[in-house]
Amino acid sequence: MKVFITLLFRSLETGSVYALAALGVVLIYRTSRAFNFAQGAIGTLNAFVAATLLMSWGWSIWVTVPIAMVTAILTGFVIDAFFIRPAARVGHEGKQIITLGLIIVILGITPILFGVEPIPMPRFIEFSTLTQVEFMGASIGYNALFTIAISIALMASAFWFLKFTSWGLAIRATASNEMASKLMGVPTKNVTMMSWATAAAFGTLAAIIVAPQSAVDINMMNDVQMSAFFACVLGGFQSFYGPVIGAYLIALSRNLTNFYITSTWSTVIVYVVILIFLFFKPVGLVGKKTIKKV
Amino acid sequence: MEGKKRKSRLIGQIKNKFSKNIYYRFTAFGVLLSLIPLLSTVGIMKVSTVSLFAYIIIFTIVAMGLNILIGYSGLISLGTAGFVGFGAYGVVYFYGHGIPYEFAALITLLIAALIGIFIGLFSLKVDGVYLAIATLAVGEIFSQVFKKVTWFTNAYGGVHFKFPKLFGVLQLQKSTMFIFLVVMMVLFMFIMYNIVHSRTGRALMAMSRSDSSAQAMGVSVPRYRLIAFIIATLFATTGGILYASFFRYVQPLDWNLMLTLLVLAMVVVGGVKSIIGTFLGVFVIYGVPTLWLEDLFAGTEGIAYIFSGVLIIIVVMFYPNGAVNVFQDFKKLYKKYKNGELKIKVKKGQKANE
Amino acid sequence: MSNSTVNLDKGMLLKVDNISISFGGLKAVDELSFDIKEREIVGLIGPNGAGKTTVFNCITQFYDADTGTVLFNNKNNETVNLNDLKVTNIIKEGLVRTFQNVELVADLSILDNVLIGAHTLYKKGIFSHILKTKKACKEEEEYRSKAIEVLKFMGIDHLKDQYAGGQPYGILKKIGIARTLISDPKLIILDEPAAGLNDVETEELCKLILNIRDKFDISILLVEHDMGFVMNVCDRICAISFGKFLAMDTPENIKNNPIVQEAYLGKDDD
Repeated sequence: MKVFITLLFRSLETGSVYALAALGVVLIYRTSRAFNFAQGAIGTLNAFVAATLLMSWGWSIWVTVPIAMVTAILTGFVIDAFFIRPAARVGHEGKQIITLGLIIVILGITPILFGVEPIPMPRFIEFSTLTQVEFMGASIGYNALFTIAISIALMASAFWFLKFTSWGLAIRATASNEMASKLMGVPTKNVTMMSWATAAAFGTLAAIIVAPQSAVDINMMNDVQMSAFFACVLGGFQSFYGPVIGAYLIALSRNLTNFYITSTWSTVIVYVVILIFLFFKPVGLVGKKTIKKV
Repeated sequence: MEGKKRKSRLIGQIKNKFSKNIYYRFTAFGVLLSLIPLLSTVGIMKVSTVSLFAYIIIFTIVAMGLNILIGYSGLISLGTAGFVGFGAYGVVYFYGHGIPYEFAALITLLIAALIGIFIGLFSLKVDGVYLAIATLAVGEIFSQVFKKVTWFTNAYGGVHFKFPKLFGVLQLQKSTMFIFLVVMMVLFMFIMYNIVHSRTGRALMAMSRSDSSAQAMGVSVPRYRLIAFIIATLFATTGGILYASFFRYVQPLDWNLMLTLLVLAMVVVGGVKSIIGTFLGVFVIYGVPTLWLEDLFAGTEGIAYIFSGVLIIIVVMFYPNGAVNVFQDFKKLYKKYKNGELKIKVKKGQKANE
Repeated sequence: MSNSTVNLDKGMLLKVDNISISFGGLKAVDELSFDIKEREIVGLIGPNGAGKTTVFNCITQFYDADTGTVLFNNKNNETVNLNDLKVTNIIKEGLVRTFQNVELVADLSILDNVLIGAHTLYKKGIFSHILKTKKACKEEEEYRSKAIEVLKFMGIDHLKDQYAGGQPYGILKKIGIARTLISDPKLIILDEPAAGLNDVETEELCKLILNIRDKFDISILLVEHDMGFVMNVCDRICAISFGKFLAMDTPENIKNNPIVQEAYLGKDDD
């Protein structure tokens, strides 16, 4: 039981990271009709901002993280204004290739701005005997609880925003039919801009949460990015909450396989299970198949 | 006078052949490429340029397969890198077990085709974005296998190979291997051209543009989806086999999502549905940064990187149908120049790309 | 093919017998029966939402009818129950359809679009085409000239090398019909062939359809809203409403049929 509880909380923590990234991916996919392959790279870039301010300038994490979120939002604005919006007439594949170009640019800029060395990143609350709580025999760090709480709170407010505000309605309208929304006077341009900003902020938070496990470096988001994509297909691209559920499921199943079956092959097993799942539910957990009329 | 006429007629005929017969053009292109090792021995080109072009040629084959999948069949695969890697490891593995090079390659292709069929069958149920991510999962599984199945890939140590001996008699060296690559590329260009300009190509296009109308015309969608995936995997695997044969060292970290995305970029940047455009795409993505940008910004590697990213973005933005259209624009410009109306034409030329 | 021992009478081409299909409790086609003779042009009419296209989809096996049979006298003069066949095999029997919204391949030439209709006639497989064997080339050449002939008949052979995308609607409709004709059909089904055409084009289409019947010796089943067009071109008309059979008769009689009038115009007495 102790082990299971530990695994459960670990899954909630990594699941939150995946969920934040997945929500970003699905938000961009629904409003810009493209996979944002650069989600991880954008997060990494801004995690570097936080880490540099922290380590080289000695600022507090409670200041640097909000600053990184602001730079993330700005990154989102810049990307939308300079790369995505001018590419309106470019097809879906083209847009994805643009996000690939962005990865390459970001991977090029980052070492120039922040150096090539990985930068260690502290937790929000450092782990010690004082900062942990006993729960059914397992000890859970405050930091884990804090990151889980803040991710869930952030996502919950995003869902509240989507559901109950006029901006949220605009986003949902754009997501279901961009052309019709535009004709109905929905400011689709601002919607995509906001989506990019939000996705960038979520990606950055995910990167900051995951960073202390190793350090802030160029490749740290590869796994998160990949898991976010799988979370999206598992939960289905049709809803915003499906991918979040998918993210927690992936984290949990990976941790469980890792511990109880094999650590070498846990990733592969999870991927195979996802493939089999997709075969039987081709549009994810909470998706409906759309039928084309002839 | 008479002789001159005959000569010009002959030139005319050759010109005609070239403009009408695409096979002549591909062959001529191949002949030009196979001069590269010669140029490097003479010293006009750097020795590393030969390897660069080998890489470009190999990935032209890979990208052509993906081009058939994306451009003609309306399907997408994000597992390309996995298949290339599998081709590279497969041929080394089977050759290492005493099977002659040609058969080792054949067995590798056969296994890859089976996996291609598997993905094709999968694609009958799973569609669109879900299929794209599913193929990404297949690519990731490959990548994990390359890192962890030691008996097949020697894990992080990688595997070594040597230049193959063709049919047991023709021992290839670096330059002859290069020519072999060129021959293969031209061959695959022929294959792609013949496929897409045949009943199969039309069926693939009919299927991707309208499911129902294709079915009414008797095109079996499951069958052609399978065919499309088999073609793409075979092209990718062939690329991998040739990669192992030329570079003679395979290591597991090369076959990642980034490579897959780069191959996708090669197709989109070069020109969807264009054969020569595919080569151009590979050249822009891989050749330009290595050939010029790295020299230009020697010392600050990051800048070369940034430029190649920007280059990709610019090409996609301004030539959404592929860089291959640059030629058409040049032709237009040239015509305008000839007619002496260049001034307004620059403006018009820009409009034409929109 | 167990229950297709029934043979169609001589001169009969298609017999739709008692077909029904419902979607989520709603009966789209309700015990509908009608038949088509050889060399006959039949129109299927009905108010909006009467289920005309659904009938087409049931005949061509895009939908599986819940009940009933669709008997067809195929290319080899054998009677087959189309319900036993897969949608992609219908064209091989000699039955082929067009679509309301044309559904052509925009980025293929008009000639190639027509050649898609010959897909099932090809005997050589992908390998022969890759190797460009003599036989494969000959076959391709043969169907290419056949396609050009069909295009000539339709009067659009001068456009054969242009892309289908961006052509005017009238041309697209013609390509759609040409594509059916190349497949050696016995019956072609046209889904709203005159929709979107202007008066001149409609008139032209009228003549064309009659010509097609005479030149290719085939039957035609069509759905159309333009009543004048249907009355002019059809030998017989089958009227349906809410998926139910109303009447089948010559245009003149259908026009004067009180049941049909009621379905279109509503009852007089309310």
